[in-house]
Amino acid sequence: MTGGEIGTLGIGILLVLLAFRIPVAFSMFLVGFVGIWVLNGWNAAMGLLASETFTLASNPELIVVPVFIPMGNVASFTGMSSALYDAAYALVGRVRGGLAHATVIGCGGFAALSGSSVASALTMGKVSLAQMDRFNYDTRLPTGVVAAGSTLGILIPPSTGFVIYAILTEQSIGRLFLAGVLPGLLLLAMFMLVMAILCWIWPEFGAPGPITTLAEKGRALVGAIPILGVVTATIGGIYGGFFSPPEAAGVGAALVMVYGALTGRMTLAATREAGRDSIITTATVMLILIAAHMINPFLALSHIPTAVGEAMAALNLGVYGTLAVIMVIYLILGCFLEGFAMLVLTLPIFFPVIVALGIDPIWFGVLVVLTLEMGLIPPPVGLNVFVVKSVAPGVPLGRIFQGVLPFWVAMLVTLLLLIVFPQISLFPPDTMFN
Amino acid sequence: MGAIRALADRLIGLSATIGIIGIFAQVAVIVTDVIGRAFGAPLYGSQDIVTMVLVIVVFGGMALCDRKGGHIGVDLLEHWFPDWLNRAIDIAAALLGALIFTMIAIAVWESAKLSQMLNLCTNLMRWPKAWFQWALCGFALMAAAGMILRAVELTFLRRDVRREPGV
Repeated sequence: MTGGEIGTLGIGILLVLLAFRIPVAFSMFLVGFVGIWVLNGWNAAMGLLASETFTLASNPELIVVPVFIPMGNVASFTGMSSALYDAAYALVGRVRGGLAHATVIGCGGFAALSGSSVASALTMGKVSLAQMDRFNYDTRLPTGVVAAGSTLGILIPPSTGFVIYAILTEQSIGRLFLAGVLPGLLLLAMFMLVMAILCWIWPEFGAPGPITTLAEKGRALVGAIPILGVVTATIGGIYGGFFSPPEAAGVGAALVMVYGALTGRMTLAATREAGRDSIITTATVMLILIAAHMINPFLALSHIPTAVGEAMAALNLGVYGTLAVIMVIYLILGCFLEGFAMLVLTLPIFFPVIVALGIDPIWFGVLVVLTLEMGLIPPPVGLNVFVVKSVAPGVPLGRIFQGVLPFWVAMLVTLLLLIVFPQISLFPPDTMFN
Repeated sequence: MGAIRALADRLIGLSATIGIIGIFAQVAVIVTDVIGRAFGAPLYGSQDIVTMVLVIVVFGGMALCDRKGGHIGVDLLEHWFPDWLNRAIDIAAALLGALIFTMIAIAVWESAKLSQMLNLCTNLMRWPKAWFQWALCGFALMAAAGMILRAVELTFLRRDVRREPGV
């Protein structure tokens, strides 16, 4: 068998294993290890297993993974996330659909801090759904807002999606973080526009919230200062040159812990719970990353990425045509595969094609992570939708999917805008880093 | 079997606790280093400490991750499969995971022997890398043992500990 045939067989086996619910990391380990064994011998496979495992488990860049995760967990335990929601509500709650607007801002802020869309959907769902139910919002809007709004964090830094992309493609985390700022704000604006249109056409979707006094507004804004302070300190510290992204993660985590300790909310039980959640997520993410570093050399040895690149070049689709094909593939895969797993499975194949075409890897990174998040809300496996369902058991799943549909369309429009106008992504990093 | 499960859960809990302490230690070291650097006195060897502790953090949580069903799988077809097939898949996945973690432990153990022979150390603290490779092996073997136990429970008791509280 040729290398290409072995590679194709390997991908086929990988897909079968995934379909049979074998964990993504285990499937990639098995195919990667056996593939290298077949192509380069047992010693090469064992050598790679030892070196990649220890090198990745002690990679200083990857410190962001275990340290950013507790930052979000602790922020949730200490009530920082609900304080952000209260502040957003004080500002925009009075307008039609105001609670929903406040929720989407809160979701964006919390998801940015936690780096996890699912954690954000769970936390903000608990905080906001009951409030919107109290004001008789149509159930489709609140559930749709929480499920879709929680995806904002992937673009607004600090984002674990960008960290993983940066590590897999050897790009600058700082540039990617900065590239996500404007697209994140654009998506937030699109979501708010969608809500405004929905509430304008169907006023029963979201009645205006009660009027808040100036004093209440002031109190709510003061309450949000700690969380805004943490975000400003971590992001400002990176771009001010005070510390690197891994150090920013450490500083951010320390700040939320100090806040929790000072307010008395960071009990021993909460600390342990936050630590446990963090260590489980870290183990999940890191094992997939190590597995990805086993399968990538196998794919490279089998020349699959080169063959895909040549095939795409032969199609002569140009930059936009190739991008469109890749994005459509991601959108389809996103309906069936978990986003992070999809990233590690597909980047080794698509990234060399992107580089060969001269497409900016930072721009591509923004497009890819947005597309990954789009996969979190459509049927059949829209993970955020199921998370929202767990918080709102009384709302039928079909209504939640109806609720997220307008937001999914808004994400698609944002994606198209980002493809047509790469400057939206590239202007901030190009201006600051060059 | 109950006693073995109780012992396994204690060991998994211990392993995870070591990892959790590692996370908080990393945060403390990073903050001390950043503050110290601002005053012209960075923490000596902070990079060595956080990177080596990362090994403990990552692999300390592996057994708990499996115990809590933390590994991501594509469950799209799960409800189409008959129960016996889903159980067979769970058993096969647990055994495959155990095999992978055992292979990792063997490969890293061999690598640790080389590190010891070549006297490989961290850059500043001069901590032997082999120490952390051995720790990785220990945690990996614990994860493997947990998976074997889970496979045995699934096979003979039809018990899936991932759906139970504990640890």
